[in-house]
Amino acid sequence: MGDNYEVIGKSVPRIDGVAKATGRAKYTGDLKFPNMLVGKILHSPHAHARILNIDTSEAEKLPGVKAVITHRDVPSTKYGLSPARWDETIFCIDKVRFVGDKVAAVAAVDEETAYKALKLIKVDYEVLPAVFDPYEALKEGAPQIFEEYPGNVNTEIHQHFGDVDKAFEEAYHVRRDFFSGQRTYHSPLEPHASIAFWEGDKVTIYCSTQSVHYLQYHLARVFGMPMGNIRVLKTHVGGGFGGKIDPTGLDFSAVKLSQITGRPVKMLFDRKEMFYNNRGRHAQYMELTTGVTKEGKILGVHANFVMDGGAYTGLGVASAYYAGALLTVLYDFDNYKFDMVRAVTNLPGCGAQRGHGQPQPRFAFESHLDHIAEDLGIDPLEIRIINARKPKTVTINDFRVDSYALKEALEKAREISGWRDKKGKLPPGRGIGVGNGGFVSGAGYPCYRTDLPQAVAIIKVHDDGSMATLYTGAVEIGQGSDTVLLQMAAEAMGYPLEKMRIVASDTDLATHDFGAYASRQTLMSGWAVKKAGEEIKDKILKTAAEMMLVVPEQLDVKQGIVFLKAHPEESLTFEEVARTYFVKYGQLIGQGSYKPPKLGGTFKGAAVGTSPAYSAATQVAEVEIDEETGEIKVIEAWDVHDCGMVINPALLHAQVHGAFYMGMGESIWEEVLFDENGDVANGNLAEYRMPTALDMPPVTSELVDSIDPNAPWGVKEVGEGATTPTMACLANAIYDAMGVRIESLPLTYEKVWRALKEKREKEKEKA
Amino acid sequence: MYLPDFEYYAPATLSEACDLLEKLGPEAKVFAGGTDVLSKMKQELLFPKAIVSLKNLGGLSEIRLGNNNDVIIGAKATHNNLIDSPVLQEKYPSLCNAARQMANNQVRNIGTVGGNIVNAVPSADLPPLLIALGAKIKLVGATGERVLPLEDFFTGPNKSVIEQDEILTEFIIEEQPFTGSTYIKFALRRSGALAVASVAAAVAMEGNVCRKARIVLGAVAPTPLRAKKAEEMLTGKEITDELLEEAGSAASKESKPISDIRGSEEYRRDLVRVLTGRALRKAINEGHV
Ligand SMILES: Cc1cc2nc3c(=O)[nH]c(=O)nc-3n(C[C@H](O)[C@H](O)[C@H](O)COP(=O)(O)OP(=O)(O)OC[C@H]3O[C@@H](n4cnc5c(N)ncnc54)[C@H](O)[C@@H]3O)c2cc1C
Repeated sequence: MGDNYEVIGKSVPRIDGVAKATGRAKYTGDLKFPNMLVGKILHSPHAHARILNIDTSEAEKLPGVKAVITHRDVPSTKYGLSPARWDETIFCIDKVRFVGDKVAAVAAVDEETAYKALKLIKVDYEVLPAVFDPYEALKEGAPQIFEEYPGNVNTEIHQHFGDVDKAFEEAYHVRRDFFSGQRTYHSPLEPHASIAFWEGDKVTIYCSTQSVHYLQYHLARVFGMPMGNIRVLKTHVGGGFGGKIDPTGLDFSAVKLSQITGRPVKMLFDRKEMFYNNRGRHAQYMELTTGVTKEGKILGVHANFVMDGGAYTGLGVASAYYAGALLTVLYDFDNYKFDMVRAVTNLPGCGAQRGHGQPQPRFAFESHLDHIAEDLGIDPLEIRIINARKPKTVTINDFRVDSYALKEALEKAREISGWRDKKGKLPPGRGIGVGNGGFVSGAGYPCYRTDLPQAVAIIKVHDDGSMATLYTGAVEIGQGSDTVLLQMAAEAMGYPLEKMRIVASDTDLATHDFGAYASRQTLMSGWAVKKAGEEIKDKILKTAAEMMLVVPEQLDVKQGIVFLKAHPEESLTFEEVARTYFVKYGQLIGQGSYKPPKLGGTFKGAAVGTSPAYSAATQVAEVEIDEETGEIKVIEAWDVHDCGMVINPALLHAQVHGAFYMGMGESIWEEVLFDENGDVANGNLAEYRMPTALDMPPVTSELVDSIDPNAPWGVKEVGEGATTPTMACLANAIYDAMGVRIESLPLTYEKVWRALKEKREKEKEKA
Repeated sequence: MYLPDFEYYAPATLSEACDLLEKLGPEAKVFAGGTDVLSKMKQELLFPKAIVSLKNLGGLSEIRLGNNNDVIIGAKATHNNLIDSPVLQEKYPSLCNAARQMANNQVRNIGTVGGNIVNAVPSADLPPLLIALGAKIKLVGATGERVLPLEDFFTGPNKSVIEQDEILTEFIIEEQPFTGSTYIKFALRRSGALAVASVAAAVAMEGNVCRKARIVLGAVAPTPLRAKKAEEMLTGKEITDELLEEAGSAASKESKPISDIRGSEEYRRDLVRVLTGRALRKAINEGHV
């Protein structure tokens, strides 16, 4: 791949690599401004309580404290990332709804004073009964958390396509299984941070965010300001994974505190506060019923799910829809029913985390499918090949899937993992498993209803042509988007990458873009960049044609040389042509904008899951289990991806490694735990156990050829899709190793130990 | 998280340090590597009025051979000092391996052996093997010093017999008849995780007969715990697979684990059974590893 291209398809080093590796890169928390204050938020100690009174007078008296704010000082406008359920306010007004809820904030001359001031704020609470389990929350008589969600039902979904009951009647075999997932948290290395300062009626916010646009939009809405008076920008961001897409209390508080004090205010979460802010993965409870033919062809599926949303909704309605919507993509079947109840509980609010709503259902479905294969006596990899979706098809819920190479991915994974030599032939305690996944390459519609384009890009060539700057609103959060978009710009322009600069994610200086979520930037921001580059190329060729007395069609430009296609030795440099353009016509600028065509059906919730293109992935993993202690060792993993044309193979494979790493953590180790009061019990990196380098197995990441017609150069996503098969492939490998199924994530050592113990006891009973 | 206010002292001599500790009273805290003290202070679990740092006290981080081939380990030796010590690599590589299983490299660079002991947390990694090897500790106070077996030091979680004015200065491992020793830590990931259960074993073998055995359990009782019944079962016996299994079961019965977020009581008890067998087998077959 990439042979016909000059800049894309090549593993150029990431442009921020040296700065990050040498520690020179500055993150938001590193920034300092003259006169800057430090702000902190006061969090609720109760999971559910009425606020009777807040007394800030003692805190205000503490020397060094410059401002103390509560709900009385800020708008009571409700917000949330998705307008379907605006239910959060900057500070709690009448009630707190989880341990960690936002009650007040202070700004002081330093962090220590700010912390001390928090202790001096007196809040009288009337403690209310709380509920931490979604099933308990849905029971009659459970404590009501929100007036607007009677029975604690936040979202209810009932979709039915085709006729599932009929499919089950006609099926050779119908199987029902139940699985559950756990709460996990993104745990980006860099904690959330926000710095705000005002000049006149304009405010600037530096934020560690995945979307400068959404933050600008929500700040404008809540504070009743024109968007133009709010500038959001960022420096380097140390990871997001979905946890930095929602506006946080830091952003709102910093803006207000700096307005009151007239000084810059910096605010950071500590690690535990990050767990309070959460927006991590929902715990889902998943019942699946599937009918198949004797040969293993899926006829119909019924997904009946419950999810724990925690206190505030954020993007949670979309998570609920995603959980069911994307189950239809991988395998082709004509009958599908999806029922979902998203309950609110007195725990931190959940949201989007790498794979958004989908990884746990994939874990459930892929585990379920392995059971079905076993019931039918079919190889698990084979049953997936039998059902794999074909390209140029439409799912039962109206998603158009053009390129799709899942079958090829499965076949290649079978080859490179040595599946045939291993499946059923490994020694005791060893197992191999397969799981499939994939994702949207950008959500078809933005988070709020708007007719804005998805992405806009501008390229400005410097007066003398010696450099060019790409302006984009796409957000580099560590995934490499700045590098990839520059590669795309250089390719489209016919210009050398080394001469390009980027100004990104700054609502004043750069361009509009919705940001880094839903795996959208390579495709969507990439479209805008490609069009901007092509406009430059057009202008260069026209100007060169004038200079060379030929027609533009006779010319091409590559790597900064404009040449006659028939006689490449007859050439001009890009620089001299660009300079001529500048002298004759003014600044050489190219602009591109991208908006997908109308996608999806018309039923309720039809928009969620739509996308111009869908990736597909197969993962195979081999594990070893210590049958006495339950310890799991992941020995090796293989990922084969259909992600369309690859712009930067090194960055792509790094995404696969990172995604597998993250999925592996969620499979075996990671779970947010709570004490009996609903407080996070392991809100630190010692007890919220993400895997370490020593836990990571060798990962082979390979590709299958695929070019999507709806994407610039045929690209698709990789960042999230590669996390979606992992839990299932490990669960299936663990099942293969021990012969009993653990139905709940994470598949901890203790659960493995217990399952094996019970298995042995049963065998003894029989004997 | 921030550090509460405190006074800071860094005395130049041991006697000065002990006098200070006596004078300042119970609100003063000794500070070695600080990996435990600082994090507890930041979490508001500990509010010492004064910190007495050991950093200026010379000679307390040496690891050397003393009289009669005793191994002397200075209390300020870091975990990485243990790992890198030629003396330990020669005499008790098992101690190097135990230290290597701790925390992460950053913590191993500043965390000290003394801190790991005086901290007195049930899951600490060094006490089990040190006790198994019969280590003694020297405590120096304002009015004198005493030497006692490490085994007698712990009285409960975060509790020990140390007096307010006392500083742990060194460990003494006298020449022992042991032919093998080892420490097995069971944790929930390969690095940076505290023990769910751990077992140290030291054995003196003569051919296939066990002359003496010590088994010390970690993270499964309020203090490191010697599994004495299991030890007795082995003493003077020919080693067989069945005997090792029985010893494991006995140790498991002797353990007193609790359930917490790292594991249930039942799980820990069974881990003790498995790990005891494994540790004994390793010490018997592989020497000090
Ligand atoms: C990220 C992390 C991971 C960790 N992982 C592990 C692990 O895997 N296994 C493990 O066992 N521990 C672990 N720990 C705990 C800790 O690092 C170790 O126990 C370490 O050995 C403590 O030594 P220190 O010198 O830092 O102690 P300090 O924090 O300085 O002191 C600890 C206690 O001992 C007292 N003290 C210290 N030295 C003396 C002395 N010479 N005389 C009298 N009193 C003294 C102090 O007053 C304090 O009460 C970890 C800690 C962290 C932060």
